Amino acid sequence: MNRYRINQMRAAQTRAGLNRRQFLGRAGAFGGAVLLTPSLLAACGGDDEDPKGNGGDTEPGPTADPNKSTGDLLMSNWPLYIDPTEDGVTGSVDLFKKATGIDLTYNEDFNDNNEYFAAIQPDLANGKAIKPDIIAPTFWLVARLIELGWVEALPLDQIPNAANLLPSLQKPLWDPTGAYSLPWQSGMTGIAYNIDATGRELTSVEDLFDPEFKGKIGMLTEMRDTLGLVLLGLGKDPSTISFDDAADAFDKIEAAKNDGQIRQFTGNDYQDDLVAGNFAACVAWSGDVAQLALDTPSLRFVIPEEGGMQWSDCMVIPKGADSIKEAAAWMNYVYDPVNAARIAAYVTYNSPVAGVQDELRKNPDTVGLADSELMFPDEETLGRLKVFKALDEDEEAQFDDRFSSITTG
Amino acid sequence: MAGGGEERNQRRGTWQPYAMLSPGMLWMALFFFAPMVILARYALSEPRDRFSGKYDLTWRFENFTEVFDRYGEQFLRSFRYSGIATLLCIALGYPLAYWIATRGGRYRNLLLGLVVVPFFTSYLVRTIAWTTLVGDEGPILGIAGALSLEGALDSIGITTNGGLLQTQTAVILGLTYNFLPFMVLPIYVSLEKIDFRLLDAAKDLYSSSRRAFWKVIFPLSLPGVFAGTLLTFIPASGDFVNAEFLGGPNNQMIGNVIQNEFFVQFDFASAAAISFILMFIITVGVLVYARIFGTDELSV
Repeated sequence: MNRYRINQMRAAQTRAGLNRRQFLGRAGAFGGAVLLTPSLLAACGGDDEDPKGNGGDTEPGPTADPNKSTGDLLMSNWPLYIDPTEDGVTGSVDLFKKATGIDLTYNEDFNDNNEYFAAIQPDLANGKAIKPDIIAPTFWLVARLIELGWVEALPLDQIPNAANLLPSLQKPLWDPTGAYSLPWQSGMTGIAYNIDATGRELTSVEDLFDPEFKGKIGMLTEMRDTLGLVLLGLGKDPSTISFDDAADAFDKIEAAKNDGQIRQFTGNDYQDDLVAGNFAACVAWSGDVAQLALDTPSLRFVIPEEGGMQWSDCMVIPKGADSIKEAAAWMNYVYDPVNAARIAAYVTYNSPVAGVQDELRKNPDTVGLADSELMFPDEETLGRLKVFKALDEDEEAQFDDRFSSITTG
Repeated sequence: MAGGGEERNQRRGTWQPYAMLSPGMLWMALFFFAPMVILARYALSEPRDRFSGKYDLTWRFENFTEVFDRYGEQFLRSFRYSGIATLLCIALGYPLAYWIATRGGRYRNLLLGLVVVPFFTSYLVRTIAWTTLVGDEGPILGIAGALSLEGALDSIGITTNGGLLQTQTAVILGLTYNFLPFMVLPIYVSLEKIDFRLLDAAKDLYSSSRRAFWKVIFPLSLPGVFAGTLLTFIPASGDFVNAEFLGGPNNQMIGNVIQNEFFVQFDFASAAAISFILMFIITVGVLVYARIFGTDELSV
């Protein structure tokens, strides 16, 4: 799920042409090709005995040893997902380094869940540690990593601020024991549209299939977002869906693709198509649109009346990481409401930390954000959001296969 | 004693070519042959489970038939797109190369340099730049709109729903643009070697200019066209960048399918099988093509 927080300036650049986000996002397709080689070569030793992890265990294993410490810390996260040090304002990474003396390297090199998984798979499958001490995959990949036994149980007693995790995100579907992951940010999937192009407000998933917008509709390559929304439109619950029950939704998407209703399946670059006027409406992520609308006021975001999807990108510690103490310190730091509010004000998604709204209200610069419905959806909206079911390995293969047959048709 | 020396010379004569070839052979062994073996192994294997990345070699030839059945449409589409792009490259590239070779004069090298200039920018960046050019609010549709051509373009299938981005037209034009220099350069080289006094000779024999070109110059330049066709058609068939950025969901090429099989489905067996089928079809195609047009003159 490529979602890039862009500030006003970058949104303006989008209209002018190529910008950093667009380039990063689109170059991601190529990055994957570069990563392919090690994975192929490592995997070709197919006869090696597989050191099986504790895959499939429902009971969390022993927590990572909190005494493992190196003095430095490496985190890989999605681009533009934290407040940077710029314009004379010190960002969270530098504040943390100053406060703790821990040498944190924060890399924005997590561009795509599938590509990242393809890159780390050979090492983790062979019981070798990867470089980052913390990564923040999307919830379904977190579920997969837990299932495969490729992540450490968090030393939660070293992370007292984890108590600030919102009740609705505790022991979630993708991490039923809550022992392995802490959300970095959550967000909503709904419909973004350009009122100038649609000429009317959109309210329903059906609007995406309105022939009036033929060839002007975008959907996401993230299956759970696109399929989830269409399922909701058909009155089905994505959090309990089976492959057979999803057949109607797949058929509906396929038919819309075949007759040219859907112009493209995109990653984060839907933002460019939306701003450039190539899309009249598309499946979209809440925080992006909140940012883009600052510069293009005709852009709107709606959770359809049938419901919307909710997702989280979660911090996990890959198996064998050696800076457990530092990782715990960083997680504790970003779960402090003051620090969480600073990050939330920049990324404009849904912070998983309780107390962020109050913190934003205290500061005159951010008081407006505290009332943002996109950042702090009301109970009624939250009630309409669904999290996609945690698919098991075989089921996921079926879903991915069917969805890919549509997007690469 | 003289005989012994001769023998030594002869012996040196036998190993020296191999010594000179060895860096290239080593390179090919490491980076062509070894990957081929790995790929072949995958193509005949079955995954143990989805994510362990472990494959068991079971000589499963069904991998090939399955992907061929499933992705036949994308194979055909890839060859159709790259075939049209290659023809467009010849149509655009031949006159350009001819003009540079015959009228370039002292600016020849400069003009050839200009043909190559796009290579100074990344392939990826050039293709992404096209998304702006062919976008709905971009200059190309802007011009078409100013000339009130939208309806006409839509009715002859150049645009779809008034759009150019994410259509097959955009993919084919993108391929043409990106591979054009690979067509121009070999054609130029073969044209440059032609003795153009042959044209005068033909005219002395009462040939018209047109006839002289088709009977004399064009056949002599065929090796260049042949080489340019290979250099354009083969990589264009396997390309996935143009379809990714300029095409829509109905315009995906076989390269996109391979990319998807590797990175989304983690089905290395199918991806490897598709790659081999692609290689096989291209190889056979090239052999047939070479048979028809002949490679004897292919000393460009």
